[in-house]
Amino acid sequence: MIELEHIIKNFQADTNKNISIHAVNDVSLKINDGEIFGIIGFSGAGKSTLVRCINLLERPDSGSVKIDGVEITKLKPRDLYKARRKIGMIFQQFNLMPSRTVFQNVAYPLTNLSKDEIKNKVRELLSLVEISEKENNYPSELSGGQKQRVAIARALANDPTILLCDEATSALDPQTTGAILQLLKDLNKKLNLTIVVITHEMEVVKNICRKAAVMDHGRIIETGDVFSIFSNPKHEVTKNFVRTTSNLSKLEILLRENSPMVKLNPGEVLARLIYIYAEVSEPLISSMSREFNLEINIILADVEIVSGIMIGGTVVIFKGDRENILKAFEYLKARNVNVEVIKGC
Amino acid sequence: MLNEIFPNLIKRMPEFWKAAGDTLLMEAWSGSICFVIGLILGIILTVTKPGGIMENRPVYQVLDKIVNLFRSIPFIILLTALMPLSRLIMGTAIYVRGVIVPLVFGATPFFARQVESALAQTDHGLIEAALSMGSSPLEVIFRVYLRESIAPITRATTITAISLLSLTAMAGAVGAGGLGDFAIRYGHDRNMIDITWVTVIVLVVAVSAVQWFGDFVARKNTH
Repeated sequence: MIELEHIIKNFQADTNKNISIHAVNDVSLKINDGEIFGIIGFSGAGKSTLVRCINLLERPDSGSVKIDGVEITKLKPRDLYKARRKIGMIFQQFNLMPSRTVFQNVAYPLTNLSKDEIKNKVRELLSLVEISEKENNYPSELSGGQKQRVAIARALANDPTILLCDEATSALDPQTTGAILQLLKDLNKKLNLTIVVITHEMEVVKNICRKAAVMDHGRIIETGDVFSIFSNPKHEVTKNFVRTTSNLSKLEILLRENSPMVKLNPGEVLARLIYIYAEVSEPLISSMSREFNLEINIILADVEIVSGIMIGGTVVIFKGDRENILKAFEYLKARNVNVEVIKGC
Repeated sequence: MLNEIFPNLIKRMPEFWKAAGDTLLMEAWSGSICFVIGLILGIILTVTKPGGIMENRPVYQVLDKIVNLFRSIPFIILLTALMPLSRLIMGTAIYVRGVIVPLVFGATPFFARQVESALAQTDHGLIEAALSMGSSPLEVIFRVYLRESIAPITRATTITAISLLSLTAMAGAVGAGGLGDFAIRYGHDRNMIDITWVTVIVLVVAVSAVQWFGDFVARKNTH
């Protein structure tokens, strides 16, 4: 278990003047064993600094960091080095040593094993991340995804219980990102690894995390399970993040550009419908159309599966009797669909 | 044939070989000492500077100033100014023995700066990765900084070795002998042009050999 309590970390912006920046500002967080926990924020939000406070690559100015109940901020240097072996870390830029082969890179942290033991361990790790065939290559000969696999093998060399991922997929293309995320998911299950994922991509959090925290200006502004953050974002920054992944955000662009798609004739209503929970499976649109004698034109639609639950929405234009349209809204609200009238009515 | 092209040199072959040997001796001794001390100083400068893995303001500031001080003193002045120290350490201030101390003082700060800039090329991400894997600062120095900087340190060594070679030529001024002294005494003072030419050619060959070897090692260690 990772327990962060009231972590504060300031950086001196200018060494001569006493201006400092609150990179992390009073953050408390608890991450349970075996959890994949996401920390999401725009760049400069302080998430990279926060994750470095977990293995003390950055020492917090105040606050406590406990790993499995051990207060690591109070450890002697030698014990801290030992503790870090149980906390793996991977990076956006992979950080493989260019002068060492794949094998030598993965063997780097294995300092107290015999030659044969190292050979066995490295081979085992390389097959775990499915990159055995590149054993004797240098990092410069690998693709981004392959580099990250090697970096993961290296981070797991000393059988850590925790893996910290600092924007680990941000330098990869979407397809490779998917593969690496799947690997992390598998490792989480196979090794009961606690994984902390730092990212600015909502997509990543949605894909593998069960719980997440949203960071802004050094503070955690929202935390909880990913589904509730997604379905019911409270803070403006969180809403922005959710919007970035949803197809429905294109509506704003259409409106701004005055697109003919969203031009209304008299009597028409443009509305955004957000579905949550299981109701999505019901044929809402067609039953509404039939029941209230409305023409319903779907402009945009988006359905996501977050933590195994469907969540989504559509942007539609209703055409019909004003009274019937209002009745349709009541019908929707009764079925837990959030209705937001954008234009008309 | 050779007698006609190099009349003066052929008459002084034993002296020429002695001079070449002295130059080699000065280069080897002061070069080796300079390599070890410069490397250590370069490492200390790197790890103690603000943001370094063993950040230490007083140590860095003092060392930084000393290196700058010795780098700004012209070598010809260093040669005479360090005579008492030379006598103290080597027992003499002349001949090859007497010039090792000033050569070391002249070249080491230069090399230390070169090492510092070579090590500075190490990606900070590698240092972070090593620390995250539980490496101690000492391990980071040997297993990351030095290991990853073999190519740039080799290049720095090449540059320093070559500039040291030109310092040894100046060392003739305090009676250290060597090729530079040989060329001045005969080639310049007695107008024996062939001696100047041969000395220059030998030095060009020596510099090229050092440069070629340095490039070879650097290339071998770049992946």
